Amino acid sequence: MSSLPRDVPDRILVERAIEGDAVAFGELLRRHSSLVRAYVYRIVGSMADTDDVVQDAFVTAWKQLPSLRDPAAFKSWLMRIAGREALAVVTRRSKEDALDEAVLPPSSAVQPERAAIHNDRLAALSRALDRLKEDQRRCWLLREVAELSYAEIAEEMTMTESTVRGLLARARASIAIEMEGWR
Amino acid sequence: MTDDDSPLDCGRTIEQLSSYVEAGRSPRDPHIESCPDCLNAIEALERVGQLSRDLLADDAERMPRPPESWFEGILSVIHSELRAGRSFPIHHPDPRVTITVTEGAVRSLVRSSADELDGIYLGRTEIVGDAETPGAPVRIELTASVAWGKSIPELTGSLRELVYRVLAEHTELNVTAVNVAVDELHGTDIHGTEGKG
Repeated sequence: MSSLPRDVPDRILVERAIEGDAVAFGELLRRHSSLVRAYVYRIVGSMADTDDVVQDAFVTAWKQLPSLRDPAAFKSWLMRIAGREALAVVTRRSKEDALDEAVLPPSSAVQPERAAIHNDRLAALSRALDRLKEDQRRCWLLREVAELSYAEIAEEMTMTESTVRGLLARARASIAIEMEGWR
Repeated sequence: MTDDDSPLDCGRTIEQLSSYVEAGRSPRDPHIESCPDCLNAIEALERVGQLSRDLLADDAERMPRPPESWFEGILSVIHSELRAGRSFPIHHPDPRVTITVTEGAVRSLVRSSADELDGIYLGRTEIVGDAETPGAPVRIELTASVAWGKSIPELTGSLRELVYRVLAEHTELNVTAVNVAVDELHGTDIHGTEGKG
């Protein structure tokens, strides 16, 4: 079998995967798994949960691929699935924690699982994100990283669109203030 | 954070400006759009979006790669979920015997044969027509990506020929046309930036 050209567009791989080509899907998995993992990690805050969530997200993506209307939009579609599964996990976990009366560590407490950020601006942004309230951070990630619409975020987070808009405006203001040192 | 409400010199707050950005800077606010302080703040507010995407890309590079077993776990589930599609009849001399080949198997055959051709990579393989009725005319609709700098007519010509031959050899489909749409190119840097790792 001749090898898969490295830079074949996602769209072509998605078209094959829709029709059942697991090799093409494997290539999509290798291309996108690190970004999806980074994204999910920002939402769930632990590596073990991240690996489980992302694994589930890719399996869900495989099953639902035939329903993807625009194969070129695979990446954002995948991010949306991963975001949804990540939200489900944190929601479930916060219920369990409420029962256990356990306190969740702030997400900065789990930072050592990653190497240090070298770029100062990105490090400042990372701190700013960690300081956001949970719902603000999730909205922010869904909007700016997964590029979901307000309506989609509202649906995922079971809130109204105007609440989403308000959370995003506050998140954006907090991050910018933190980064610029405005008073 | 109470600092969010402290106004700029012109009296507008960062929070107000952030809402304005969130609304897509519409309806247009004449003060904001002509105030240097506001515009400066808006620029910073808009920048944090792109910076967030940069941060995630940076996170992705710094995260430890999962073990190979993690990838294999996903792929093993995927292999168990086949997409068989329709069943196409294969003639057998004994009328009591019914043999069929699945649509998924025919597509897989076309793909793996086409993979032997250099410079062209198949996407979709659609079998259009009533292939479940023996002898009914069917059309094969293919999409493909061609390597940059290769002759598209030459490659699609070879592909078409190959598909006719393979399907005649291994199936009883009455293929009346093989159409190839080349919508993508590879072997350039245009699409190559996504595929790290």
